[in-house]
Amino acid sequence: MLMKTDLLKMVENGGCSAKISPFLLEELLNYLPLPEDPNILVNIDTRDDAGVYKVNEQLALVFTTDFFPPVCSDPYEFGQIAAANSISDVYAMGGTPVIALNIMMFPSSKLPPDAYREILKGGSDKASEAGMRIIGGHTIDDLTPKYGLAVIGYIDPDKIITNSGAKPGDYLILTKPLGTGVILAGQRLNIAADSDVSEALRLMKLLNKSGAEIMAKFNIRGATDITGFGLAGHAMKMAKASSVSITLNMNSVPFIGNTYALIDKGCIPGAAFRNLDFAESDTEFAADLDYNLKMAACDAQTSGGLLISVPGNKEKKLMDELKNSGLTSSAVIGTVSDFNGKSLFLT
Amino acid sequence: MRIVDTKGQQCPAPIIATKKALKESKKGETFLVLTDNKSSLDNLIRFLKDNKTEFSAEKEGDIWTLRITKKTAEVQHSEPEKYCNTDIPHFKRGNFIVVFSSDKMGEGDEQLGRLLMINFLKAIKELEILPKKMIFYNNGVKLGSTNSPVYGHLKEIEKMGVGLLFCETCVKYYSLEENIKSGSLSNMFEIAQVMASAEHIIKP
Repeated sequence: MLMKTDLLKMVENGGCSAKISPFLLEELLNYLPLPEDPNILVNIDTRDDAGVYKVNEQLALVFTTDFFPPVCSDPYEFGQIAAANSISDVYAMGGTPVIALNIMMFPSSKLPPDAYREILKGGSDKASEAGMRIIGGHTIDDLTPKYGLAVIGYIDPDKIITNSGAKPGDYLILTKPLGTGVILAGQRLNIAADSDVSEALRLMKLLNKSGAEIMAKFNIRGATDITGFGLAGHAMKMAKASSVSITLNMNSVPFIGNTYALIDKGCIPGAAFRNLDFAESDTEFAADLDYNLKMAACDAQTSGGLLISVPGNKEKKLMDELKNSGLTSSAVIGTVSDFNGKSLFLT
Repeated sequence: MRIVDTKGQQCPAPIIATKKALKESKKGETFLVLTDNKSSLDNLIRFLKDNKTEFSAEKEGDIWTLRITKKTAEVQHSEPEKYCNTDIPHFKRGNFIVVFSSDKMGEGDEQLGRLLMINFLKAIKELEILPKKMIFYNNGVKLGSTNSPVYGHLKEIEKMGVGLLFCETCVKYYSLEENIKSGSLSNMFEIAQVMASAEHIIKP
């Protein structure tokens, strides 16, 4: 008799909540020498998550990796989410994913081989949806399962989108609602509505592909994807990399289902406090900012949406296209201005 | 008195339980929250401070007890800077200070010196008795800059109740005014006074 595998029983922190502390990461990266090579177009210098390497005048490679412990019970669904999340960096930079390698840690003594196969199948199906081939991989026997991809994408060296491309006068558009961290934490405590959990799962599986295609059409130069550092953390990194100030209007930010009510109950995952610590020295919070909205801005997202910096005359058309493509929760949530003392303002 | 026992629970469960107790308490009522998890404690403290809730913390063995009193939110509009410097009672501080005259530890290879300094500040956090104050002058003020590799540690140490004093002349000399976001700027008189009244001075 086969038991149904519940991956959530095996982890304390799933998804991007399991990221290392951003403070620690910055500290460690400060001591890593940056490689020098004129063909490196984007490196960790601006704290982008992926690197870009120029092959010739027409072609550059976007190279990125991401992997994490389970965010859901079902192995197939976990594979899909982990893959969508891994590919997201390529889309956020305006690239087209081409090939990938599986990265897997699997407790072979604790989980049936079926679970292993299902995780890989989820990844492989998501890769096909992205039009990408998985051409190899590597598995380690480890106590907690972890899965993700190392992805290579093609990109035109003149059309790279980075988190340093936000310009004063731009509007900021978010393409997926926030709340995956809060809802997954609520699910563990049995206080999240089933409908919210399934909506969170659907959004985490959703590729940022259509968002990327629309960015290309509008010649966007500044964007980032919202993942483990939360909306506030990623917006702050974008503002710093672009040497601008970003103002986010938290009242216009879309949320998944009852996210706000869950936060109001106190369902604030530890990662949100970590992200608050990370963002707050460069952030000014409006005196009347609702505490629950502040913590929502810090919620770690798994496979979150794109935060697109769009010039002031294009934002309406871009919004229309996003909504028509199925990203119906897309919303204009902020503006970019010249740097004026703090990188990020939350109102 | 109501006791909210969150021992064995991980975030966000202790916060949910605390928030529920706060909602159900009457104005002026006091209750206790127990936790045996350090990161839950840190998050609880952060949550209470952000919501301007009155509390004190005590540690006994491996268990922290937070004593929380419900007040109406509008009564307390404390300045954020002020409540960030509030001493958190369960960290003991001794009558000694640490003086940083350089951003490196010891003499020799620069890279090694920087690495040692990171480890030193990490070690400070682990001390059973924390310093009363830490003073930064000359190259030492660079440690407090927001882009310094130890900035996160310094903020944590400050949150544990240790006062950080940065020599103002030095901060201006290195044009770091925009980058010092923790502690307070200080003059030579105060620095001399603090040094003179400390029982011991540690200089890494």
